[in-house]
Formats: sequence, structure tokens, C-alpha cells
Amino acid sequence: MNAYVQALLGILLSAILTENFILVRFYGICPFMGVSKRIDTALGMGLSVTFVMALASAACWLVYQLLLALNLVYMQTVAFVLVIAAIVQVVEMFLKKFVPALYKALGIFLPLITTNCAVLGVTLVNAQEGFDFLQSVINGAAGGIGFTLSIVLFASMRERVSKADCPAAFKGFPIALVTAGLLALAFMGFSGMKIF
Amino acid sequence: MKQETMPRFILRISLTLLLITSVMAAALAITNYVTKPRIEQHTQAKILEAVETVLPGGGAEIPFSDATGLVDKVYASDTGYAVQVQPNGFDGAITMMVGIDKTGKVLGISVISHTETAGLGAVAAADTSAGSQFRQQFVGAVGSVAVFKDGGQIDAITGATITSRGICDGVNAALTCVAGLS
Amino acid sequence: MNFKKQLKEGLLTKNPVTVQLLGMCSTLAITTNLFNGLGMGLSVTLILICSNVMISALRKVIPSQIRIAAYIVIIASFVTVVDLCLQAFLPALSDSLGVFIPLIVVNCMILGRAEAFAAKNGVLASAADGLCQGMGYTVALVAMCIIRELLGAGTFGGGLLNNGEGFRIIPAQYPAMQLLMPVGGFLTLGFVIAGSQWLIKRIEKRKGGAKV
Repeated sequence: MNAYVQALLGILLSAILTENFILVRFYGICPFMGVSKRIDTALGMGLSVTFVMALASAACWLVYQLLLALNLVYMQTVAFVLVIAAIVQVVEMFLKKFVPALYKALGIFLPLITTNCAVLGVTLVNAQEGFDFLQSVINGAAGGIGFTLSIVLFASMRERVSKADCPAAFKGFPIALVTAGLLALAFMGFSGMKIF
Repeated sequence: MKQETMPRFILRISLTLLLITSVMAAALAITNYVTKPRIEQHTQAKILEAVETVLPGGGAEIPFSDATGLVDKVYASDTGYAVQVQPNGFDGAITMMVGIDKTGKVLGISVISHTETAGLGAVAAADTSAGSQFRQQFVGAVGSVAVFKDGGQIDAITGATITSRGICDGVNAALTCVAGLS
Repeated sequence: MNFKKQLKEGLLTKNPVTVQLLGMCSTLAITTNLFNGLGMGLSVTLILICSNVMISALRKVIPSQIRIAAYIVIIASFVTVVDLCLQAFLPALSDSLGVFIPLIVVNCMILGRAEAFAAKNGVLASAADGLCQGMGYTVALVAMCIIRELLGAGTFGGGLLNNGEGFRIIPAQYPAMQLLMPVGGFLTLGFVIAGSQWLIKRIEKRKGGAKV
């Protein structure tokens, strides 16, 4: 197999499993805890984040090349966060106008994505690792898929846990966090794997 | 309040945003101007310190060829080489320096920067007894190194096999690179 | 608004971490030793005070339609300033916290306080709010660090005291190092929140009892 394709596959699998954005790297915990009470909303959030992450990776790669050329790398955080905010806004307007059905399903999640650190996180990681355009987009999309995978798994566990009887002080978030901890423990199993 | 017309309103919000952005950009430029020399100095000092640690007396940069893609720079002196390598750890790349003498024996390793987990993988770089104990294992190695789990001679850092493997990859890349030089 | 009430809210009843559940990414990721926790807590507090003051001072100038964009620019700039200063003057901390410093930008706690408090209150009150909320954040972070470091590595004050080695409290072979891994972050935060919920309920009960 071509070494470049192999590297791309490596990025893909590690972003989904061994370096899962939520359970290993801790990016995007707020929506992970906030929007995971039901499986369908979790899936909606996951898909929106995946879409925005891939788009943001592509856009921020271009912006980063510009910043590199202008010798303004110290502006990267400000520039990236503005690009992400703009993308989210544009996607929201686009969906509202042209795909109202999808807007209805995803609309409420979009504003939340601006302050999702998974999105800013992936663009900063792309810049730090010096990924090229394709690698950045794949890392963004795979990070989003990893996010979707863990949030959907987590939501299905929470639906069951919410019916369980637990000590009063643990009701609500604490028991959810303990559940997330067990899920993270399961994902730790992947870290022993060496992908390529 | 008087009703604003749409174009005037758009002009007003654009100008406000532009003003805020320019003020903040100016503040950033000033901070960058003040801190940049210091940051570069730190980075440079760290690299020099790492060269000095693994190759006493330091060395000068020389051209090299590398098939692994992990080698960044090679410094050479009369006694040996210091090779800057960048293997992958548990969470992103580890930048480290490997000292190798003229006979192809490892003189020592030093980690320059990394993003490993504090208390686990970060031990590899730490100025603690556990850290130096781990790094000391590489001294005197020839040919190639690997952790116990992979049938080698290196006792991995507890709970950080991936980091330890990454460091072995880096040392191996440096050994291969130096073998190609002489 | 009085300072005492703000302080109590920040530290306990409206603690950003344990009650409002904001800024959890950094809370979980970097709380592996005391140095990280203190450094992160103080950086966030500083940024929060600066952004609160600035946003509060500009609250009458910024049109509400573009307020979020304006807040983001202001916050991101302060974060970058702190990031550059840490790289220049405290490289050890900057190395250890890594990408989580720039990620303070999207710490919902800072944008949250801007929107919920600084946009509606005066400069002085906003500064006090930043200080109190930031202290609450720091206290929660430090509590997480102490628990995780003690049970996970068996030390206290790692990266800061005793030449960075920390003081060994539990012999090296006993600690459960899983607590330093992601699993431990989730579990510890779960227990810390449960503990604070219990404490708040107890205080409320006592007050209720005194009234009757």
C-alpha cells in the first residue's frame, strides 16, 4: 500500500478509536454531557459536529497557510475561532433557506458548536502537526465520527442509567460522569493497538 | 430612538466590529513583539541544552540522509553525533535528542518537547529519578532497541508503553541514520 | 450585588465546574498534578477578569446583533496574550498544558460569564464576578488535581514542590495509575460533583431547620 494512503488511514483510525476526541483527548466534553440524554438528539449533534469539523479543518487549513505566508502565526487562535463562528453561521443560514427539514433537525445544535472545543481543537492540532489539506480534512471528519460514536454510545447508556436507583448525591451528572468514565475505560483498550 | 435604515445599521455594526478587532489585533502584535525573542531564545536554548546533554561539548549541524522520516537534524563533533528525532508518542509527536558515539553506541537521550500525559508518558521527559532511570537504560545500546513487551531490553515506563515505544522508535531512527553516515 | 454573595456563589452554590458544569474539557484533561491545576486555574481567572472588564466597559457600545462575535474576538485575544506570555516567561507550564491554553477560548465558562453577567453589569461588579468565578474554577481544579495525583501517582504537589517531584505519600507500587488516565478524570469529577451536591444540600437543610 502507498505510504501516503497508509498515513491517511492511520490518521482516520486513530482519530476515531485510539485518540478518540472525547474519551481520550477530552475535546468537546460540554456537548458530550449536555446533549446526550437521548440517542436521537445525540446522533443529530454528532452529525452536525462531524460536518462542521470537516468544513472547519478545510477552511482553517487555508487560513493557516495565509497566516504562515504573512508571518502572523500568533494570530491563529483568533483567526480560527472567527472562521469557525462564521462557518457555523453560514451553515445555519444555508440550511434554513435550502434544506428546512434538516435545519429543523439540526438547527438547535448549530449555535452550540461555535463553543465546542472539539472543533477549535482539531484545527489547532492540524496546524501543530503540520498536516496537509487532505490530512486535515480527514482528521477533522474522523474526529467528528469519533465524537458521534462516543456520544451515541454514551446516550444509549444514559437512557438506561437514568432509570437506575442511585444515591441521592449522585443523581444526574455525577452518575453520568461515572458512566462516561467506564466508557473511557473501554476505549483505553484501543490504546494498546499500534495502528501502522 | 430614531429608526435606523438598513445600510446605516450594517455600516455601524461592521465598523464597531472592525474597531474592536483592530484594537485587539494591535494588542496581540505588541505582545508578540515583546515575547517573540524570549520564546525563540527558550526554544533555541532547549535544543542546545539537549545537544549538550547527549553529546558533551556540543556539535555543528551536518547534512544527512534518512529513510525513516523521523530525523530532523544531525549535529556532529569529533566524539560523535547528536540526532534530533521526532517519533510519535501516545498523544502527538515527541521531539528528542539522541547522542551516539563514533562506534554507533548510544551516549544518552534527552526529550525536548512532548504532549504526553502528565505522571505517565511525561515521566520520559521529567527531571525526576524515575525519568532519568528510564533514559539511563538507553545508554550503551547498539543496533536497535525495543521495550520488554516487544522482546527488547528496555523496561517501559509503567502505564506508558506507547510513549516508551515511541522513544524506542526515535532511538532506532537515530541509530539507523548514524550508521548510514559513517 | 455584594462581593460576599458573589464569592459564595463562585466557590460553592454556583461553582462553574461542580454546579454549572462549564469548562469541563480542561477540568478533565489537565488535572493530573498540582502545578497544572493551579496554572490553568490562575490563567483562566486572569483571562476571565480581563474579558469581563472589557466586555462590561463596552456593553453599551456593542450592538446586540454582533455581540457574540465581538465577545469571541475579545476573549480569543486575551487568551493569545496569556498564551504568548506563558511561552515566554513560564515555558514549563506552557509545555505542560499545551493545546489546552489556546482552548480556553472555547471554555464555555468565559463566554457564559460574558453573556450572563458582564453584558448586564458595571465594570467593578464584573471584575469581582470574574475573580469569584475564576477562584471557584481554580478551587475545583485543584481539588481534582489533589485527588487524582494522590490516588494515581501517590504524590502531592507534583511539578511544583520538592523540585517538581512532589512529596511521596503512598509508596510507588500502590497507586492506581488509571486515575491519571481519562477514566480517572471522569470518575473523579463525578465524585467531586457528588460531594459538592451533598454539601450544598446539607447547608440548605441546616438553614431550613434553623428557620423552623
